[in-house]
Amino acid sequence: MVAVRTTNSPTLPDNPRHGIVLEALVKWAPLLVLLVLIAFFALMEPRFLSIRNFARIGISSSPALMVAIGVTFVILMGSIDLSMEGTVSVSAVLFAFAFLALGGTLASLAWLALPVALIVGAIIGFINGLIHIRLRIPSFMASLAMGFVGTGFALLITGGDRIRIEDELFRSLLTVRWFNFPIMCYVAMALVLVAWFIQSRTKLGRNFYAVGGGEELAHASGLNVGRVRIMGFMLAGAFYAVGALLAVGRIGIAETATGNNFMFVSITSVVVGGTALWGGIGGIWNTVVGVLIVNVINNGMVVIGLPGFIQDGVLGLLVIVAVFLSTDRKSVSFVK
Amino acid sequence: MATITKSANLVWEKTKPHLPWVTLITLVIIVGIADANFLKPQNMISLAADVVPLFIMAMGITFAIYIGGIDLSAQSIANMTTVIATVALAMFGIGAAFICILTGAALGAVSGFVTTRLYVPSFVSTIAVGGVAYSVGQWLSGQRALYMDAALRENAFAWMVGNTAGLPHELVIGGTLLFIAWFLMTRTSFGRALKAIGAGELAAVASGLNVDRIKVIAFALSGAFAAIAGLLFAVKLSGGSPTIANGFLLPAIVAVLVGGTPLTGGVGGMINTLIGTLIVAVIRSSMLYFEIDATKQQMVFGIILIIAIAATIDRSKLRIVK
Repeated sequence: MVAVRTTNSPTLPDNPRHGIVLEALVKWAPLLVLLVLIAFFALMEPRFLSIRNFARIGISSSPALMVAIGVTFVILMGSIDLSMEGTVSVSAVLFAFAFLALGGTLASLAWLALPVALIVGAIIGFINGLIHIRLRIPSFMASLAMGFVGTGFALLITGGDRIRIEDELFRSLLTVRWFNFPIMCYVAMALVLVAWFIQSRTKLGRNFYAVGGGEELAHASGLNVGRVRIMGFMLAGAFYAVGALLAVGRIGIAETATGNNFMFVSITSVVVGGTALWGGIGGIWNTVVGVLIVNVINNGMVVIGLPGFIQDGVLGLLVIVAVFLSTDRKSVSFVK
Repeated sequence: MATITKSANLVWEKTKPHLPWVTLITLVIIVGIADANFLKPQNMISLAADVVPLFIMAMGITFAIYIGGIDLSAQSIANMTTVIATVALAMFGIGAAFICILTGAALGAVSGFVTTRLYVPSFVSTIAVGGVAYSVGQWLSGQRALYMDAALRENAFAWMVGNTAGLPHELVIGGTLLFIAWFLMTRTSFGRALKAIGAGELAAVASGLNVDRIKVIAFALSGAFAAIAGLLFAVKLSGGSPTIANGFLLPAIVAVLVGGTPLTGGVGGMINTLIGTLIVAVIRSSMLYFEIDATKQQMVFGIILIIAIAATIDRSKLRIVK
């Protein structure tokens, strides 16, 4: 599509290959960036390439990956969801309460707390979608407000306390390792496949692309756009809840702060991975690459001895570059 | 039926501009009935003085929302400024204030540049610039809370927080900035241009305005005001930390929107934000009187935010709501 547009444009000389090369570059740039980053950190510090370090990257990536995959569905539709911090906190806290109330170990009925968490996430996503669609409020503001409500709600029900989850079976997400990687990495990978299946093999997944590619066209062809959007937000909420479960599994604590930082990191990951904010372009695999880029930078800085807090600034700049590269400036007249 | 809804719409459109101050007065009366102490001038003045940093930040965000954008970096810029103010005070004395304001304006201009020239929507560009500001704050502070030297603070900044004849100086600062912002917006060609962009950007471009430049200036002003808010905050608390202003962003946006400047831009303005900030302040203190504890405040403000957006947004400007 980009190629067609650029061939017709008067500003670029009549060289159709130019557009195709640019398109390929934009498509593969994220993977290239990831490989260059890995090579860079490996040259600076050979220990970066050890299996132990890769496991460390895997552990830090897993919860973020789930949240980023959730928001990928929403961004594919051309909307945005900024509620992840609140949703993760509420899911984590309610999971912990249910888990402890039902017996406190996965061997008992407490396993029911897992689906409870997913349902909580989906419900919050549903409310997000309803507010966005029914009240006709732009999604970034509707979801931002819902995120604040979620964080407040989590604070309200915990009273600021931390809830410890000490069940060994649940903590085996982190403590039991298969081939050097903890179970949570495999859970995350399995869910990537689920997400990929939804994206490419179901009607819902195709509808996300249809809405993102051109909402008016999708509407004109008889698609219930509002329902697709609400489903997208619900799916996103369920994935945030999985992220919440992995985050609780990683540190063994559920609290209001469980959701902190997920917004910046997940949006950054999706955008850096090459999914366009305008919708319709990109997908799950882009997000996998994006999350790895973010976590490799994060981990690499620590490994080569740079202070970790610079990463927010570096990521901020990367986001700008990524959105810049992925925007087809001929099709957009102005942005707000 | 159609005419009924049409006239109902007309009534709604006519009452909408008056909603903010009616809300404010109603709230004050309700709280005043519940607790007469609330209405004492002493209490009112201290309430207003406390809310000045929030008000200044909200005025900055008003510039961004008025042109149909948003500034989500204000809180991070204020955080960073508290650190810069504390560090720079030791080196430059009163000059620290200029460094703070210039840094804030520069970061705001970067947001504006990225939005207009690189076509990154403002809610993402400002989150990204906020990330940069956050990093700068962390780096300068070494990730801890810093304290101002008492004597230096006294020399350079004491005038900001003093009290003359019962009138807190914060109110004078807030009033001066309000006058400047109000003047810019309503009495200058720059203000007209802002309104034109907010009312319809394509028309503004077509009429030959340099829209990009005006938008960059609007975001720079937003950054500068956020920095002033941070500076005042640092002086009040005589120190800075990279997370000290967390929790400001939500009430600041609420203040702008509740005041009647809709997310779609073009109407509203600084006086609206003044009323909106006062509404936020009254709601906050009324929560104390009605013994709604602090943890519930964020929820309440989140819900108010949704209601305020839904009530004020101009849907005719949004062909597709994304």
